Amino acid sequence: MTTVANRSKAGRAGDAPPARPTRRRTRPGTGTSRPWLLLLPALVVMAGLLLWPMVQVVLLSLQNFGLRELVTGRTRWIGLDNYTALLSDPNLWQIVLPNTVVFAIVAVLATVVVGTLVALLLNRLGTVSRGLVTTAILVAWALPAVTGTYVWVFLFTPGDGIAVQALDAIGLLDATTANPFADRVSFYVIALLNVVHHGFPFVALTVLAGLMTIPNELNEAAVIDGAGAWRRFWSLTFPTLRPVFAVVTVLSTIWDFKVFTQIYLMPGGDGVNRSVLNLGTWSYVESFAQNKYGLGAAIAVLLTVVLLVITMGYLRLLFKEDEL
Amino acid sequence: MRAGSFGKGVGVAAVLLFTLFPVWLMISTALNGRANAGSRTFLPEEWTLANFAFVFGEGGFGRYLLNSLIVAMGTVLAGALLALLAAVAVARFRFRFRTSVLVMILIIQMVPIEALVIPLFIQAKSLQLLNTLIGLVVVYLAFSLPFAIWTMRGFVAAVPVELEEAAYLDGASWGRMFRSVLLPLVAPGLVATSVFSFITAWNEFIFALTFMSQETNYTAAVGLRGFFGQHATDWGAVMAASTIITVPVMIFFVIAQRRLTSGLVAGAVKG
Repeated sequence: MTTVANRSKAGRAGDAPPARPTRRRTRPGTGTSRPWLLLLPALVVMAGLLLWPMVQVVLLSLQNFGLRELVTGRTRWIGLDNYTALLSDPNLWQIVLPNTVVFAIVAVLATVVVGTLVALLLNRLGTVSRGLVTTAILVAWALPAVTGTYVWVFLFTPGDGIAVQALDAIGLLDATTANPFADRVSFYVIALLNVVHHGFPFVALTVLAGLMTIPNELNEAAVIDGAGAWRRFWSLTFPTLRPVFAVVTVLSTIWDFKVFTQIYLMPGGDGVNRSVLNLGTWSYVESFAQNKYGLGAAIAVLLTVVLLVITMGYLRLLFKEDEL
Repeated sequence: MRAGSFGKGVGVAAVLLFTLFPVWLMISTALNGRANAGSRTFLPEEWTLANFAFVFGEGGFGRYLLNSLIVAMGTVLAGALLALLAAVAVARFRFRFRTSVLVMILIIQMVPIEALVIPLFIQAKSLQLLNTLIGLVVVYLAFSLPFAIWTMRGFVAAVPVELEEAAYLDGASWGRMFRSVLLPLVAPGLVATSVFSFITAWNEFIFALTFMSQETNYTAAVGLRGFFGQHATDWGAVMAASTIITVPVMIFFVIAQRRLTSGLVAGAVKG
C-alpha cells in the first residue's frame, strides 16, 4: 500500500515532461485547462493587488505626485528627481538608514539568540513543562503588534510608567524629567524589547523542531568524549541545523527591516520626532502627512530593493533544502 | 545534576516572565478601577469591569469590533475558497509553468506590504473604495492568499491520491469527488489556514489606518487610538479595549498553531 502511494506520489513530484501518456488524458481531472481555472481567481487577486501595485510604486517614484495630482489624476513625470532628492538628503544617511540598519542587525541578533536559547531549554524539558512554556510562547506570538506596542509604551510612560519608576529606583534615570521616547537610542531599545518579544517565538519553535531531528546518540557520544555544552552546540548542533538558522535569520531580517506598526505607534514615532524615523515610517510620513507621494514611493522602492536582496538569499537557501 | 535542574527552573521562570508579563499587565490594568487615576501596579488596586463598560458605552468600541469582525470574516470566507481551489491546482495537477507559479507565489509572499500602501491607497481612492469595509477585505484577501495557498497545498498533498481514484472508479465526476472526498479531508487544514487569515485581517493596522478616515468605519486596531488623549491617556480604557482585541486572537492562535504544525508536517512527508 505504501509503496504504491509512494510511487504514484514520486511520479507527481518530479518535473514531469509536458507530453503525458494518452491514457491519463481520459481520466477526469487531468485536462490542461482545469488547473488554470482553479488558479485563476487567486492569481487575478494577487496580480491586481500585489504585482500591479509593485509596478505602480516604481512608476509613482518617477513622478511629482502631490495632493493636486491625487485629486485631478494627472501625472507629472520628473525622471529620477525623487531618487536624487532622496539620496542627497542628509536625513537618509544620518538618521533613517542608521535607525533601520542598526536596529535590524541588533534585533535579528537578539531575536535569534533568545529564540535559540529558549529552544535549547525546551528541548531539555519534560512533557508537562514543555507544554506550559510552549503555550506561553504562543501567547507572546499571538499578542497583536498594536496592543503589544501599547503595553510597552504604558510601561515606559514618562513620569509614572512602571519601568521608568523601577529605573528611577535603581538610580538609572530621574523619573520626574526623563522621557525615554524622546531620545533615539532609548526609543529603539524599547522598540527592541517589543520586537524581540514578538519575534522570538517563531525562532524558538522552528529551532526546536530542528533540534528534535538530531539523534540523542550524537549528543551522548559528545558528552562521553568530554565536550561541554558550549562545545557541543558549536561542533554538533549548529553545523547540523545550519539551514534552519539561515532561514530564521533571513526571515527575521526581513521582518525587522520593514518594522512599521511597532515604531509608528510609539510616542513620536509617527513623524513628530524626526530623529526616530526608519525607512518604513519615513515613507509613510512623507506620503500621507506631507502629501509627497512620489518621494514616499521612492523610499518604498529603496526598502523593497533591500528586502529583495535579502529574499533572494532566502530563496537560494530554501531551494537547496527542498524541491518544490 | 541538581544544578542542572535548578538552571532549568530558572530558565523556565525567566521565559514565562518575559512572555506573559505584557499580557498580564494589559489584563490587570484593564481590570484596575484606579488605572486612570495613576495607579501603576501589577495587581488591580480596585477590581472592576468599569473600564470595559466605558469602552463599549462611551467609547463606542462595539462599532469598531463589528467592523473588524465583518472585514475579518469576509477575508476568511473569500480567502478559504480561493486558496483551496489554487492549492488543489498546484498539488494535484501537473501542468506547464506549475513550478513557476509556485515560485511566484513564494516571492509575492515576501513583498513588503508596507511598500504597497501608497499605490493601493491611490487605486482605492480612484475606485471609490476608501472608507468602505469591502476595500479592506479585498486588500487583506490579497495579503493572506500566498501563505494560505502554500499551507493548503501541504494539506491537499497529504490526502492519498488513491482515495480520489476510488471515487472516480465509483463513477464520480471531478466536481463530485472534490465535494465528497477532498473537501471533508482537507477541512481541518482549511480551518487552521482560515484562523491565520482571520488574525491577519483582525490585527492589520497600516491599511486600516490609511483607508478609513471616518470614525464609523474604524476597525478595532485603529479605534484604539481614540483613547489616547492630547495630554492624558485613559490607560484603563486602552488596556480594556486591547484585552478585548487580544484574547480571542490568542485562543484562536494557540488552537490553530497546533493543528497547522501537524498539517504542515503531514504535508511535508514525501514517499
